Amino acid sequence: MKRYLYYSIPLGIMWCFVHGTVSIQNFLFGLLLGPVVIRPFRELYDFDQELSFKREVRKIPKQIIYFLVLIMEITKASIMVSKIVISPKIDIKPGIIAVPLRTRTNGGITAIANTITLTPGTLTIDVADDRSVLYVHSIDASYPESIRMSIRDDLERFVLEAFE
Amino acid sequence: MNLLIFSLTFMVLAIIPCIYRIVKGPTIPDRVVAMDAMNTVIVVMLGVYSFVQGSVFFMDVALVLSILSFVGTVTISKYLDEGVVL
Amino acid sequence: MSFIISALNVLSTAVLVIGLIFVFLGMLGLLRLPDVYNRLHATTKVATLGAFGVMASIVLNVGFTPIGIKAITVGLFLLLTAPIASHMIGRAARRHGVELCAESVIDEYIIAGETD
Repeated sequence: MKRYLYYSIPLGIMWCFVHGTVSIQNFLFGLLLGPVVIRPFRELYDFDQELSFKREVRKIPKQIIYFLVLIMEITKASIMVSKIVISPKIDIKPGIIAVPLRTRTNGGITAIANTITLTPGTLTIDVADDRSVLYVHSIDASYPESIRMSIRDDLERFVLEAFE
Repeated sequence: MNLLIFSLTFMVLAIIPCIYRIVKGPTIPDRVVAMDAMNTVIVVMLGVYSFVQGSVFFMDVALVLSILSFVGTVTISKYLDEGVVL
Repeated sequence: MSFIISALNVLSTAVLVIGLIFVFLGMLGLLRLPDVYNRLHATTKVATLGAFGVMASIVLNVGFTPIGIKAITVGLFLLLTAPIASHMIGRAARRHGVELCAESVIDEYIIAGETD
């Protein structure tokens, strides 16, 4: 019962945003509707994991920093791709690179894949079956080693701090 | 009203490459990418229209259209990948 | 006070025009780049940032009224789902057998179950 309440809090906040007015009545109504949504999709939530409210709250400042870094990176990436698009002759060297991963959890892999997609010149294509390798399409793949280094050192640190 | 006409003209110009890619695109994934991009442009048009007219309802339409575009893209990709949807 | 409001109006118009230009450049990339994967680069990053910019300019102009809050929702939803959709299309294209374009320099992808 406590678990349903805990998973309903994000749904209540989402209900406020979709409704258009953020108020306490709307939040309570969304909280009331939450279990109706959670019950049919019970398999998607991991019910056997122990939950600690304090640990989730402590991660929120790190996640805000992660979001700001993400906005900066996506702006840089857009300017880079726009330069390629408006140049009179398109001169690119694309390719698919295998990047080894350190994390094994579902949330960590999802966050890393989304972050890679939104950073300059790279796009996630697939994950290997044993979850050890990401396949990344890069728009400039002339130096594969430097792309692997930059993903491992810069990105993975932020993502692991925010979501592990 | 000037801003509205400027934005809508610009966005209609942006839809032309999508339609070219949907009709001409050599492979099926090309067409899926073009459909997704066209939905993004239409969402932007609806947002600008709602803002200039001061009406909330067009923003609802934009929200629902972006959700439907995401679900449709994922469904077609899964069908191409595995041959079944569910 | 009116100075702040007019400054916000100018800022929001500037962000709106920049967002529209980014959306247009994304569609131009869809037209000009050579194969599916490079086109995904253009539409996923550039067009999504443009749409987010347009929604941010609406929020800057109207504040936290229902229109503004719904604009935030639409922008965040686009920003969250664009990487997932592009990941699905790229994976489906690669398994469906779409080849990389002629300029490609490296391909380390191994399809599961296929012996090399």
